[in-house]
Amino acid sequence: MRNVDQGALSIDRQFIDRLFHALGDPTRRAILDRLVERPESVSRLAEPLGITITAVMQHLEILEEAKLVRTEKLGRVRTCRIETAGFLALEQWIRDHRTAWERKLDRLGELLAEKDAD
Amino acid sequence: MTATEPGTIHNTFVIERNFPQRPARVFSAFAQPALKRRWYAEGGQVIQEFHMDFRRGGSERFRYRFQEGHPIAGSEIANESTYQDIAEDERIVMTTRMSLNGKPIAVMLATFEFVPAEKGTDVILTHQATYIDWPDGVKMIEAGWTQLIDRLEKELAQ
Repeated sequence: MRNVDQGALSIDRQFIDRLFHALGDPTRRAILDRLVERPESVSRLAEPLGITITAVMQHLEILEEAKLVRTEKLGRVRTCRIETAGFLALEQWIRDHRTAWERKLDRLGELLAEKDAD
Repeated sequence: MTATEPGTIHNTFVIERNFPQRPARVFSAFAQPALKRRWYAEGGQVIQEFHMDFRRGGSERFRYRFQEGHPIAGSEIANESTYQDIAEDERIVMTTRMSLNGKPIAVMLATFEFVPAEKGTDVILTHQATYIDWPDGVKMIEAGWTQLIDRLEKELAQ
């Protein structure tokens, strides 16, 4: 019970599994590193990573399922960009797993800042 | 996990947090009941009682119930604390017994240090505790969840 928290329980377990599986691979993290800079086409993502387009597509599929990346076909080019939903879920998961005291200190910080604004 | 494992767990953790306000301001959020209630007691639970007597040897009582929808909704947590030492704007040392429905589940020693920093105040919380065996815990949570799932079923059947 000490560690039971409603927020933590309410997050979709399967989705969290997919999210951490997606982030657990260095190639997929390298793809995300590139995409935070700017959207890219699949072929331009593949080049510096030294892997085939098929391999990139497989990684992208996993990243898309984890809502970390969105791809879209425009004309003949498939464009990839960062999707925020996965990152928001990740942030929520991290917030839910802060200890009770850390959460209390978060609230203390908010309270002190609020009184500064008075 | 073996059956011979003792029923107590001992743990110490330290949290450091910087606040941009000066020590006296941060300290006041621990010393003034109305302020402490807002960041410490409020948030996701039904407060039954929050009372503090902020002086050396003074006590603090904080009782709350889990909200409707929580797996063990209705269960009561009571924190009974004693302010063992207070140095204004510098330090608070307090001990707490935490009980669930009247049964102790943890005994804690918390030391808060307020250290002036280049920007504001560093609060250092050193938290030492003995967590006491809670044999009913798993059963209670299980019962709570069974209840929740029953309710979900009914909800979906409508």
